[in-house]
Amino acid sequence: MPYKLQYFNARGTAEPIRYLLKYGKINFEDVRIESSDWPKIKATMPMGQMPILECDGKRFFQSVAICRFLAKKVGLAGSNELENLEIDSIADTVVDLRLKIMAVSFGPQDKKAEGMKTLKEETVPFFLSKLNAIAEENNGHLACKKLTWADFYFAAFVIMFQFGAQEGEKVWEKYPALKKVKENVENIDEIKKWIAVRPVTDL
Amino acid sequence: MPQYTLTYFDIEALGEPIRMLLSYGKIPFTDNRIDFEKDWAKFKAAMPMGQLPILEIDGKVMYQSMAISRYLAKQVGLSGANDLENYEIDNAADNINDFRAKIASAAYESHEEAKQHKYEILKKETIPFFLNKLDKIAEENNGHFALKKLTWADLYFTGLINYLNFIAQEDLLANHSNLRKVVENTHAAPGIKEWVAKRPKSNR
Repeated sequence: MPYKLQYFNARGTAEPIRYLLKYGKINFEDVRIESSDWPKIKATMPMGQMPILECDGKRFFQSVAICRFLAKKVGLAGSNELENLEIDSIADTVVDLRLKIMAVSFGPQDKKAEGMKTLKEETVPFFLSKLNAIAEENNGHLACKKLTWADFYFAAFVIMFQFGAQEGEKVWEKYPALKKVKENVENIDEIKKWIAVRPVTDL
Repeated sequence: MPQYTLTYFDIEALGEPIRMLLSYGKIPFTDNRIDFEKDWAKFKAAMPMGQLPILEIDGKVMYQSMAISRYLAKQVGLSGANDLENYEIDNAADNINDFRAKIASAAYESHEEAKQHKYEILKKETIPFFLNKLDKIAEENNGHFALKKLTWADLYFTGLINYLNFIAQEDLLANHSNLRKVVENTHAAPGIKEWVAKRPKSNR
């Protein structure tokens, strides 16, 4: 069953999807669209956005909905609805942080310096310390005290959080439980292999 | 039956879809409303991520309104019959959430000049784009957002609509009859009809 993923040449919101597909050993074509080609492709996208996942002629969009769907396929969903709620809450929180960082990054240029300062001093520490406390309670995971797609969703965005914190990989020394979440995911064979070969991009 | 307590501000907005889901399921709940001016500052620190709404289920605190909505939908029969159907509902709800986030980005912009600029783009491009897309989905689904029937995506949109109109500063449904049908269908649903008739009046 050949899957085709289309996104920009970046990790971005496609990376959690790539992680889940790799984990599930699901073969897929990892299509990366050039920015110059995007305007004409954009018009063909259901909501004018990517990523988009194609399978058997059907197109799936909305990255979190796709992740939730794939997680069920590859055994990374909760074992009951309360567990799924716990996982969903974490994924939504990661989205909240990601959107705050992107709002600065893609926002008005003259407000960027001020925005980056707020991210570094307030927003990112607020979110990461909350998530770190959750990871402590969950033994190096973000939900249900076990590996779920919540961990993958977080781990796939570490480069974005590092960008917001403006500290690179060093930032994880301040959040040891989150460092464990990150490492738990990155040490999985399929993910390790993917990280070794994936295209190097800024975000 | 578990004990449900919803805590939110005294407005509809992100609390309303949850109130509608509980009402549809005829689940009694405590509708706890916080006074923003008087009580929020001290409450905020006690919240898992410093935000509302939260739903306490037998004392366990749940947060993130979409995650809560998805969970309640399963309890009250407004989710899909399989993973693919649930994906379709999730997709619709995510599109609605994207729409909300774009309007909110303009509404909560603190720099006046940037705010004006954001509202210009919102009115000229973003709102028409989303309304047309969402209206088309509602048309294809006979006055619903997924699966041609009432799902939590319908309640999510309907619960938010007064709030969306308020922050968009326009009547979003004025020229989109299929979206109006979604709201009408939802308001007519048993449990929700009674809730809407008795809920505290709010402009958002």
